[in-house]
Amino acid sequence: MSDIDIKRISYLAKLKLPQEKEEFYANSLKEIINWVDNLKQIDTNEVKPLHNVTNTTESIRNDEIKKYNLVEEVLSNAPERAQNFFKVPKVVD
Amino acid sequence: MKQSISQIKNSLKKKSISVEELHDEFFKKAKLNSNNAYNLITDKAQNKSLIDESQKRYDNSNSLPLDGIPLGIKDLFCTKGVRTTASSKILSNFIPNYESFVTQQLLNDGSIFIGKNNCDEFAMGSSNETSHFGPVINPWKNKNEPNNNLVPGGSSGGSAAAVAEGSCVASMGTDTGGSIRQPASLCGIVGLKPTFGSCSRWGIVAFASSLDQAGPLTNCVEDAAHILNSINKYDFNDSTSSNHKRDDYVKDLNKKFEKKIKIGIPSDYLKDVSQDILNQIENAKKVLSQHDIEFIDVEFTTTEYALSTYYILAPAEASSNLARYDGIRYGVREKGENLDDIYLNSRTKGFGDEVTRRILIGAYVLSAGYYDAYYRQAQKVRRLIKNDFERILKDVDFILTPTTPNEAFKIGDKLDPISMYKNDIYTVPTSLAGLPGVSIPSGLSSNGLPLGIQFIGNYFQEKKLLQLAALAEKELAFNE
Repeated sequence: MSDIDIKRISYLAKLKLPQEKEEFYANSLKEIINWVDNLKQIDTNEVKPLHNVTNTTESIRNDEIKKYNLVEEVLSNAPERAQNFFKVPKVVD
Repeated sequence: MKQSISQIKNSLKKKSISVEELHDEFFKKAKLNSNNAYNLITDKAQNKSLIDESQKRYDNSNSLPLDGIPLGIKDLFCTKGVRTTASSKILSNFIPNYESFVTQQLLNDGSIFIGKNNCDEFAMGSSNETSHFGPVINPWKNKNEPNNNLVPGGSSGGSAAAVAEGSCVASMGTDTGGSIRQPASLCGIVGLKPTFGSCSRWGIVAFASSLDQAGPLTNCVEDAAHILNSINKYDFNDSTSSNHKRDDYVKDLNKKFEKKIKIGIPSDYLKDVSQDILNQIENAKKVLSQHDIEFIDVEFTTTEYALSTYYILAPAEASSNLARYDGIRYGVREKGENLDDIYLNSRTKGFGDEVTRRILIGAYVLSAGYYDAYYRQAQKVRRLIKNDFERILKDVDFILTPTTPNEAFKIGDKLDPISMYKNDIYTVPTSLAGLPGVSIPSGLSSNGLPLGIQFIGNYFQEKKLLQLAALAEKELAFNE
């Protein structure tokens, strides 16, 4: 196993690890990846990946619009809002 | 002596107790929160109209299946207008404006929610120590070290402790790799994980969507059957909800099996286990053998790969499911100069250590260059594990295993993640295969702590599984 680039992985996960914790997480991650590495011993060339364990067909529906009018309810949990919008810092100049 | 749902309903019907008196009895105990089993206790004023309506139904002799029964709800189920946190800082201010499918069924059947039970953060843990609101204390004590506080197991640790301490009649939990069965075992109660696809995941804070399943933690098998009757329904809003015909799980619960049944005991599960654990299996075998039940030694070939498979798939799904917590639309937002800063700061400060660790594992195994080697390989091995179970379930009707490799341990005892993950060695394989499993109390360890055994049944065969569990419960006659 190659070394784990903890900065890259944490950025992929949109996390900014404090510097003093980077090593802690890097070691922990390395230990766990080593531990799960035993799966590589198994020959799975002829095996299909399993996505849905009970073989039931996932249900699909027609794409129909239903109006619930829940704007106020949805926005009631917003950390910051402006009228009927979620408020965020300026994204484009 | 704790009363079952049927017994309580009889008292309510006979008017020897009112719905309000019943509620107050449990509410008072919950309010003490002496084991930190609750993140929130519902105000009595909020429940008052439900209590009155329930009483009216009893007065008119048209009570509902769970009428007036005080329940705990794991703080992972969205409850309309009631704070739902997943025991995480990032959701510590979240008030859902909808009710989860499962809790809606329980409300439709007349039950009353005492409060939201503490759990591991985002259900990630086996000891309830990862909760942002602090650990839950197991109501049981080691008789040789009575001053030590023990873990209740996890992630549904608050649910298990609440039922064990008697502050609710039953609690709703969720199980991804053992999160109902393991805490039930460590707290001396019954815990049922139904077949994947039985109970809707709609409105449950998602951890690993191909594994998550709701189920009850109860004082007895019959109570589990009552709750299952309420929650086991097809739901269009969960794309993995199964549309099969459901049974009545209470009816015929104590009926004898029509023909001889076979139970497999996996010899590979019993290697290296302690005498205490071995005794549980031997004892169950002894008492059940008197009932035209044959025990057969079976052996899995995939057990040693189950935890590795789980600790690739579950974190991968978690890292993707938890991408939604970004501090924009709900949850706690941390300050940031630009949008990316808000995401990074809110997530980094909002998630605890274990959740962060699992998100990192997930991001790693899904990242370019590693996807095939880890994630895809784990999905293939998952099929081999499922095939392994199907092979064994051709020869036997049920499988009997210990629920956990050990009794409840001290809070703070298991610090490294891998030794914590190994707690779920007997429950994870069943979860990966999607099969139903029930843990029932089987006896006490030499330290006087409860231990459990797990019965595993075939897909959607919860009725037979609960019949067997009810028989074993009666025969083992486990009392506090």
